Amino acid sequence: MAEIRTSSPPARNLKRIVYERVEPWLFLLPALAVFSIFLFYPFFKTMYLSTFLTNKYGEAKAFVGFKNYADILVGGRSREFWNSMWVTIRFVFFVTIGGLSMGIITSMLIDKKFPGNAFASAIFAMPIAIASSAASMSFKMILHPSIGLLNKILGTQINWLNDIRYTFGVICCLAVWLATGINFIFISAGMRNIPEDLYESASIDGANAWQKFKSITIPCLSPTLFFQVIIDVINAFQTFNIVKILTLGGPMESTNTIVYSIYLDAFRNFRFGSAAARSIILFLIIMVITLIQFRAEKRSVHYS
Amino acid sequence: MTNTSVSAQRTGLTRRQRNTLWTSLRMLINLPFVLLIMVPLLYTFMMSVLPADELYYRLWPSHFDFTSYLLVFTKTKIPRHILNSFIVAGSVTLLQMITCSMAAFSFSFLNFKGRNVVFMCILATMMVPWEATIISNYLTVAKWNWLDTYHVLILPYGCSAMGIFLMRQHYLTFAKELHEAARLDGCSNWRFLATIVVPLSRPALGALGAYIFLQQWNNYLWPLLVTSTDNVRTVQIGVASMYDIDSEQINLMMSAVIVCLVPSLSIFVFMQKNLINGLMAGAVKG
Repeated sequence: MAEIRTSSPPARNLKRIVYERVEPWLFLLPALAVFSIFLFYPFFKTMYLSTFLTNKYGEAKAFVGFKNYADILVGGRSREFWNSMWVTIRFVFFVTIGGLSMGIITSMLIDKKFPGNAFASAIFAMPIAIASSAASMSFKMILHPSIGLLNKILGTQINWLNDIRYTFGVICCLAVWLATGINFIFISAGMRNIPEDLYESASIDGANAWQKFKSITIPCLSPTLFFQVIIDVINAFQTFNIVKILTLGGPMESTNTIVYSIYLDAFRNFRFGSAAARSIILFLIIMVITLIQFRAEKRSVHYS
Repeated sequence: MTNTSVSAQRTGLTRRQRNTLWTSLRMLINLPFVLLIMVPLLYTFMMSVLPADELYYRLWPSHFDFTSYLLVFTKTKIPRHILNSFIVAGSVTLLQMITCSMAAFSFSFLNFKGRNVVFMCILATMMVPWEATIISNYLTVAKWNWLDTYHVLILPYGCSAMGIFLMRQHYLTFAKELHEAARLDGCSNWRFLATIVVPLSRPALGALGAYIFLQQWNNYLWPLLVTSTDNVRTVQIGVASMYDIDSEQINLMMSAVIVCLVPSLSIFVFMQKNLINGLMAGAVKG
């Protein structure tokens, strides 16, 4: 365009061409600034720190190569690390299964219209608005050994948050409760997109409810479910607040998730190098899982 | 091969009766799940209004005692924490609406070299867990003497991949001709964004805003790490630090939980449709 206008002086023309080249980047500038300073730079700095011994101000003092990693994986702190790994894997497994089940059940419950339908949907979606820290405070009271609601209902005196048999389980339940909202929102939207005539023709062919669920709902829902599994797994891996507020990783490290152990390492024991190494390991795990899931998607997800 | 008329005969009910039966059954099965989600909140509310002498043995108060709410606002630092949360969450929301709109505009309306590469790089950051950056970020802001300020709570959240992605998804639904026509009329890209694109994308922006505000209002770890004084502490930290088990404190603590839930639940109630549609737009088309 600019070249055609012979009336404008060439200097202005050039300026304009240059400006049009630069303009897209001007729009991106604020975003890129934030990402560079608070995401890309710290990410590489974490990698860098993970190969150093640090002082308590987090300054890199001596290059140690992979010693931090070796310490965690096979050395002096390996027992604690593998324990936290095992806790995290079980936690992610149960919370993902629980969250998905709650999402599917609640979505099916409101699938057909009935009086109170809108109210029930609002309630099922509500946990997305609730802070996990505030919810943890409520649960702290509900689970209290002498005056808590749960013990009152069951007529027991169980110390839910400090008994190795129960603590992990109740933490999982709280996480599932919190995850219900987002699972419900995505899965119920996915269900609404399934064409109604599929069910009708299946009914005509005499399919029962279970057959319809197995052969229509689940396959048609598989893209949504696949997406939701990734979200759930990533969220569960990063759960921190409820552990910090309710159990501090105890009792006997039974809820010491890898994320909480990173927090302890860095901000309680000031071993920033070692904590950085743990973070990088966690990052790699999440990345590998996401990639595996995308691989698996190609094989098993059904797109109509 | 059975068909529907057979099962109707077997149960001996007309179609209409069966529908009514199913509807009531549906309501009945919904009830326990609705309760499951609601009970923790109802219980929290009950505990906040139970008179102190009934706390240990009653669930339903003989009368509603709201004095602890008064105490939350007069005797604790919670009002200040709420103000701080509003300042921080509001600023982050505003900032992200601006930065994400601008970036999304560039990615969807403008053509330039490296556009896809940069966009993929930004999307890839969604996979990076916060643990991988939070340690270094903490060390950085500590070195800059940013601890205990508002900007340390605001600036790191000044933009988000999710926000850019959502806004871009929305902008892609705009007709390209709109942009071309505006350009031919001599409208600059900045003016086009501010006077045409932004007003037309109010629902998407609203959804994004509500999402960001909720996220910030509920943020816990970062404020916990970088603040240590009541002047800048946000409400989640304030509430979480109130745990104590003597009876007066239980009322107070549960009232504080309710108070800090009110803003986020109101946003949820008023923005529910918009928020859910906005989130879905990102997920389904992505």
